[in-house]
Amino acid sequence: MGSASLIALTLAAVLFSAGGILIAKLLVKGTVNPQKGQAYECGIPTSSSPWNQFNIGYYLFALIFLIFDVELIFLYPWAVVVKKMGMVALVEIVVFLFILFMGFLYAHKKGALKWM
Amino acid sequence: MNDLLIIMKQELLLTLIIFVLLTLKIAKDMDNGAFLNLVNLLLAINFVVGFLGGMEGMLFNEMYHTNSLIILEKNILNLGTLIISLQSWSWLKDHKHVAEFYILLLCTLLGMFFMISAGNLLMFYLGLELSTIPLAAIANFDLAKRKSSEAAMKLIISSAFSSGLLLFGISLVYGSTGTLGFAGIAASYSADPMQLFAFVLLLAGFGFKISAVPFHLWTADVYEGAPVAVTSYLSVISKGAILFVLVPVLYTVFKPIAESWYNMLYLLSVVTIIVGNLFAIRQENFKRFLAFSSIAQVGFILVGITGSSSAGSSAVVYFVLIYIFSNLAAFGVVSFVSATTGREGISDYKGFYKTNPVLSWVLAIGLFSLAGVPPTAGFFGKFFLLLAGAGKGNYILLTIAALNMIISLYYYLRIVKAIFMDSNDHPIEKLSVPVFPKLALYLCMAGIVFTGFVRYVYDYIQSLSIGF
Repeated sequence: MGSASLIALTLAAVLFSAGGILIAKLLVKGTVNPQKGQAYECGIPTSSSPWNQFNIGYYLFALIFLIFDVELIFLYPWAVVVKKMGMVALVEIVVFLFILFMGFLYAHKKGALKWM
Repeated sequence: MNDLLIIMKQELLLTLIIFVLLTLKIAKDMDNGAFLNLVNLLLAINFVVGFLGGMEGMLFNEMYHTNSLIILEKNILNLGTLIISLQSWSWLKDHKHVAEFYILLLCTLLGMFFMISAGNLLMFYLGLELSTIPLAAIANFDLAKRKSSEAAMKLIISSAFSSGLLLFGISLVYGSTGTLGFAGIAASYSADPMQLFAFVLLLAGFGFKISAVPFHLWTADVYEGAPVAVTSYLSVISKGAILFVLVPVLYTVFKPIAESWYNMLYLLSVVTIIVGNLFAIRQENFKRFLAFSSIAQVGFILVGITGSSSAGSSAVVYFVLIYIFSNLAAFGVVSFVSATTGREGISDYKGFYKTNPVLSWVLAIGLFSLAGVPPTAGFFGKFFLLLAGAGKGNYILLTIAALNMIISLYYYLRIVKAIFMDSNDHPIEKLSVPVFPKLALYLCMAGIVFTGFVRYVYDYIQSLSIGF
């Protein structure tokens, strides 16, 4: 430790970020075409301006999907230790899933799952 | 298992209340009046139960710990939330999303509880996030007002930025000490540049949340745009919770570098008091005014923290308790006037005494207490803070603080003058205060009058804070 480590950290951070940009600049073949300036839309040429309004339903679905998707990850570490921990783990996961289920019920009650 | 239920009593009760509200919201549509009655009843029960049968202890591998002082701090926050809930009755009774407001509000309170009880930087960070993200959502609760969305946006961006600084600091702490537990950090921390740098980042994160001066820029805009209930919550509860964490973190975890943080806090408090005071003089909107006045108050609290003794920690808890009463007395009147008439300018309050004498007195006593005029509790709070600061013998800091108390008298009394002496062609009409807001104002008045004179309160806090 000491100031040496701080200086080393700063240098490493600068090198890491600047180096990435520099290497990319050196390696890239500079071809320019108009499609590169467009917004990405499944890889095909964009059909209209990306700045149009879109249905808020997409946003709600994405959000709910994201919540349950991320929460599911917590079940994996639980599944690894559930045998060793026994009853406690079971109770805890039931509480956890109950909390999630309440959130799901709320979203349902609010009509967030209905496609308009 | 039984220990867990008793040690985490306050958190569990709050979680239970959140679930009751959520279930009610899902199960049936209650009308607002009945719902608000129920919520206030639950919060009152929550406050009372907080005093019953607590137990000190550690849980989850020192992730979570609690002691008598922490239990008291949580009770103080419970009391503040109850008062705010009572005050915002007139604003919420016609609001469409009352249940959501309370669920989010109590989630932030739960986050603060976990943050105060944290024994590990990760736990602390989780609590901090739980207490800031829902706050941004309720800052947006005046759904029709653009300023309210602006406030929420500014709050979420500035807190995201400060969380970034905090996380970077935490990662450096972990990199240099190899542990995130408070006990482990305290054992292996030293004043080498890497660890000092990590501490500066952590302090900056804290500074954002308590809006100490170089990090205060979000405060006035957010306070002005957010609904008054949320503004008072931000300025009293959320700030108080962070201060409750900051004190033990500085006093125990970063004790090995006490010399260094003393100097940093010294600078921060001087700048915070001066800038907060000078900007407060020029404000014309009541909420912006209270924002800068709360920045100045934080400066005074930092003076007390620099004392780094048990007197410092008890003075901070004592002052936060008094600050809750005095600030909520002022905010309570502003909140009620704003909810019923929509007027928030300081000049609107000219001639307020002619039409609403009782509310005027409440507002004036609240402002006197904020300014620290002797018979009110605010005086004793500031007195103990400066006394704690004097323990270090830094008289420059004390002189600056004392001079700034005089400056602050000017702008607090300017409003009192507007209320009592100035005449106005269109004064705020005569208002009749409903039961709940009235109850909240009575509570604040009782707090301002009694907390200062009842010696038992300070003695009790002092007896708990010897541990530092």
